[in-house]
Amino acid sequence: MSEADMAIIKPEMMMKSYIWLETTDGSIQQVEQEIAMYCPMICHEVLQKGLGAGSSKNCAISLPQRVNPAMLSLILDYCRFHQVPGRSNKERKVHDEKFIRMDTKRLCELASAADSLQLKPLVDLSSRALARIIEGKTPEEIREIFHLPDDLTEFIFYQEEKLEPLKNLMDDPRIRLLNRLYAKKRKELKEREKLKGKEVEERVDERSVDDLLSFINGKDHKVVKTSKSKKKNKKRKEHKNKVSHNLHSKQQGVQIVDETASSVGGVSNLPSMEDDIFSLKTDSEDGYVDDGMDPVLKEMLDREVEDFARRLNSSWVLSSGQERQPVHFSINGNGATRRLTAIDD
Amino acid sequence: MKPGIDDQSKPQTMIQEKYTKRYQNLKVAEALSNNHLYPFACNELSSIIDLGYSQLPKDLKAFIFRDCLSAFRLLPEMNTSAAVSAANLLVKSVESAFPKQKKNLAIVEFKQAKVALKRRTKSHDEHIDLPSLPQDIFVHIFSFLDLYSLLSSSQVSRSWNQATSEGSLWRSLFDLHFSHKVLIHIYPGIDWREAFKNEYILYKSSKMLRSGRGYCSYCDSVVWHDNLRCPKKQCRLKSGKKPLDLMLTHEVVNYLLGTTSSSDESDSEDEAVRGLWAYPTLQ
Repeated sequence: MSEADMAIIKPEMMMKSYIWLETTDGSIQQVEQEIAMYCPMICHEVLQKGLGAGSSKNCAISLPQRVNPAMLSLILDYCRFHQVPGRSNKERKVHDEKFIRMDTKRLCELASAADSLQLKPLVDLSSRALARIIEGKTPEEIREIFHLPDDLTEFIFYQEEKLEPLKNLMDDPRIRLLNRLYAKKRKELKEREKLKGKEVEERVDERSVDDLLSFINGKDHKVVKTSKSKKKNKKRKEHKNKVSHNLHSKQQGVQIVDETASSVGGVSNLPSMEDDIFSLKTDSEDGYVDDGMDPVLKEMLDREVEDFARRLNSSWVLSSGQERQPVHFSINGNGATRRLTAIDD
Repeated sequence: MKPGIDDQSKPQTMIQEKYTKRYQNLKVAEALSNNHLYPFACNELSSIIDLGYSQLPKDLKAFIFRDCLSAFRLLPEMNTSAAVSAANLLVKSVESAFPKQKKNLAIVEFKQAKVALKRRTKSHDEHIDLPSLPQDIFVHIFSFLDLYSLLSSSQVSRSWNQATSEGSLWRSLFDLHFSHKVLIHIYPGIDWREAFKNEYILYKSSKMLRSGRGYCSYCDSVVWHDNLRCPKKQCRLKSGKKPLDLMLTHEVVNYLLGTTSSSDESDSEDEAVRGLWAYPTLQ
């Protein structure tokens, strides 16, 4: 710089101190200290590492990973406005409302960057903006906006493939729950069989005698069973398009069986639907019994489950916003309606 | 005697003014620019028109016409299926009740809006990868959501589902909705989502999800509730923790016009309540 240049430089510029900041992509820029210090994280860095930190290119303060250069300049703009003490609350509000108008992607980045710099007011501002975007939308719409894959449906669908208990190595409560439901369903079906007649008892005898044989034939049984239940589940799948129904209707399936069984046998303690999901008693999850039901009975159960699934589809919460389709709880045997009234109490 | 005749004409105009004033106080148009409230506002307009557009006083008709036009004009910005179906409902009411000229104007607006919507949805086909946010930012965002949106979010994906099961979210919702009438025993490890759900089902509170309106006894008006409270500060101070009495669309319309229509939705309330909680929390 020549002397002429030095003369042009205003005194204020000489007074300002600058801090050097480095982003993860390696680019280093210098920022007025008072603006940078508005960010708590930078403030702490400076205080912690002593006054030498950020004072030159070599010892620039490295910013967290989530802060890319574009976001940094945005955040600095924000700080530049707000660190001026003389502004009124209204001014700040107006500025913020204009500032926050950007597409969803940048909002997410901004929230992330502000959070890593611990700039709480900006985190609040961007979070509120994101919340306003999410507000009042259905899950599908939210997924569209945020470009999120639906990994919930797949996960639960995968579990649905077999009615066998799943290996629960991680002691995942979801798997525990599903296994319980499977076991319960198998139990119900078995009980239904018992109510029908004594033929079942003979079968049981056979089995106890043929215990060893069945163990040897275990594989065959499994094959038979999975193909049966796969068929059952495939039918169910066709009628469902929302993930929650799988779990819900499966459990509804259990409910229906429960109901119809009790309608024959008399009074039963109807567990409420919610209790079923969240507080099942431990059943024997391990050994499963061969279904061996007659196809007619199975068909009936299948139909009931599908019917319920269809009904649930139409009464799903997503449609319970403003565009609710009329729910038709058509009476399908006394069991279904009785269950409803029981819970209404 | 002249006073008699005057008395006869006076009540009529007073009634007319009353309706118009009430309608203005309802601030239906203000809600149209709100993403969440747009469907509610449209439904109110539809119901009012259906109940008897032709019998309304002239200036009220003008207001409603103006608001219908705004509704259609704002439709492209509302990117939800709920908004689209609410607008469809509104255009049906318009088609059956409006006089020819106004009807045509409104329908033109609606069609333009539909075209704009289509253009919008087409341009959103780019596959951008959004940055994944840390869990606690999600929880922070969700803390601003109402019940319906929170439940919606829990079904979006696995990570969102986990984030929505955060106890603090449900605790504040519980506080907001039930603390004025329920005394709950707080123990360590309490599952707030469960607690909330139980109270919700107990009180058959599906109104919370289907309403944007509440009646505030302190200012004696029907308002768009701000997190279940009256938007006016003085009323909030006076009411403390007590939330507003929520109102459904048909109740609002009854209040406005002095009618006694009932909703055809009342039967499906219970099913909707149960359907909500069917979705388990994946921990």
